Amino acid sequence: MNVRSYGVIMALIALASALAAPLVAGPFWMTLITQIYIYGLLALSVDLLLGHAGLYSLCQASFFAVAAYTTAILQVRYGYPTIVAAPAGLIAGTLLAVLYGSAVRTRGVYFILITIALGYIIWGAMYRWASFTGGDNGITNVPPPSVAGFSIASQTAYYYFVLAVVILCAFGYRILIRSPFGLSLRGIKGSESRMQSLGYRTTMHLYAAFVISGLIASLAGVLYVYYNRFINPVAASFQISVEVSLMAIVGGSGTIVGPFIGAGIFLGLRNWVSSFFELHTAVMGAVFIATVLWAPSGIVGLVERWRTHVGKPKDQQ
Amino acid sequence: MHSGILQAINGVSFAALLFLLASGFTLSFGLMRVVNMAHGAYYLFGGYIGLTITRHTGSFALGVLGGGLAVIPLGYLIDRFLIRRTGENHLAQVLLTVGIAFVLGDVALKIWGGDSLKVPTPIELRGAIELPGGIIYPTYRFALIAFGVFVGLSLWLLYRKTQIGAVVRAGVDDREIVSAIGINIDRLFVLVSALASFLAGMAGVVGGAFLTLYPGAEWEILVYALVVVIFGGLGSLEGAMIGALIVGLLDAYGRWLLPEFSYFVLFGPMAILLLFRPRGIFGREG
Repeated sequence: MNVRSYGVIMALIALASALAAPLVAGPFWMTLITQIYIYGLLALSVDLLLGHAGLYSLCQASFFAVAAYTTAILQVRYGYPTIVAAPAGLIAGTLLAVLYGSAVRTRGVYFILITIALGYIIWGAMYRWASFTGGDNGITNVPPPSVAGFSIASQTAYYYFVLAVVILCAFGYRILIRSPFGLSLRGIKGSESRMQSLGYRTTMHLYAAFVISGLIASLAGVLYVYYNRFINPVAASFQISVEVSLMAIVGGSGTIVGPFIGAGIFLGLRNWVSSFFELHTAVMGAVFIATVLWAPSGIVGLVERWRTHVGKPKDQQ
Repeated sequence: MHSGILQAINGVSFAALLFLLASGFTLSFGLMRVVNMAHGAYYLFGGYIGLTITRHTGSFALGVLGGGLAVIPLGYLIDRFLIRRTGENHLAQVLLTVGIAFVLGDVALKIWGGDSLKVPTPIELRGAIELPGGIIYPTYRFALIAFGVFVGLSLWLLYRKTQIGAVVRAGVDDREIVSAIGINIDRLFVLVSALASFLAGMAGVVGGAFLTLYPGAEWEILVYALVVVIFGGLGSLEGAMIGALIVGLLDAYGRWLLPEFSYFVLFGPMAILLLFRPRGIFGREG
């Protein structure tokens, strides 16, 4: 069996189990799996920059939160329907990325530090601008999404909706990273000066990648607010930005499934550990440390290494 | 008018605290190319340990010294056994040190609890001073400014006027050449990292006496320190001084004039500065 058909079979199995999940899983698991899809999408937005463009952005939670807040405020406070509120959220989050994209003028550690600081602006606005954002309490009672009188109220219906969006996104993402644009991003990651000398406007490429990444993060934000039914400043926090980047790395940076696997491992582990161990933040911190020291290329990387390790002698026979 | 002056003193005293934290951060980046996001956790740990010492001995000075000294071995172990293994991969450093900060923060929560704790200040610093013009201001904040100026001057003299400082400056410029001429650069790293930990721990005690210590304080103060070094330029001691003053004053006036948008007042100018000077005021290309 060659690698390609192996991959197709794995994808079909994953799809079948995702479709069948609501039949066997209880509400607790459904909540967790939906959460994994949404955070996986956010981690995917991190990985477009990290795995393909070589930029480490720590303000992804800002786009996520701005989209979520915009949708929530329009729905709850101004009573706009989903058909207006959800696209408005997407646009608001993406516009923020257009603005914050000026960070791509810097590279390396400066980029990291600047995105941290930019992320804190949004967190600060949500936290302190209480008259508009609701401060600490945030916005509550977000209604379920409904389009043309058709409401996606049940947990199962929303699960399938999120799954559909995630699959569409994954296909779009696959086309994007296989396009000449994706290729030139990886070229910049490999050697920016070489791409420049070949005549590429590298900063514009990185800027475009940053905005697209902001769009994906905003999409995750809109999905999140309808799933969670409320939003508070925690969504914009630095911690969320770091956690999703860890998800991307734990799963395997530079792949499409990696961020989702990472989200599954991270959220699953946190749920499990916090059920019996008080110091669960410390455990998550230890996961950070262990990932950096022993599995910098993530689970997908470990599997690849294992496959080449085990598979090679056979292929050569 | 009065409150305008009050805010200026507020800003300068906060700047003194920020300088304590940011100077260590910026020097360890300058010399070792290490971005240590656990610096805020050092601050918190130093603060809590200083608090415990002050409570038991009744001496604030001992608390400040002890809080600073206690963080040195912690910082050394983290540096030697964890951060050193990441080489110059800043992404790995950030993730690793954020993980360390999570662990330290959770351990601190377990030991000292989740309430805001205030480091008790000595009686001599508890009252208020009346300035000409009828402005009344807490003595402690003036002492903090004096302390910040003292530390800043000592660091500057150490950095600019002594042999060790010259070697550190040379190391910031070119590490390979420094070790090639026979200077033990590893010993220099340990020295600077110990100094950075000491300053952060001390800052925790000093800051804990007016900002209080609580879970999450490590991240709040770290962001301010980051903005300081972004303004001033990574790796520059003078930049940390100027940056601390800018950030302290912007924060004080922002909180006073536009309380809901104080973060914009702080980060907005930073974003604009970055558009024109991505490496900060004193940052150099390279």
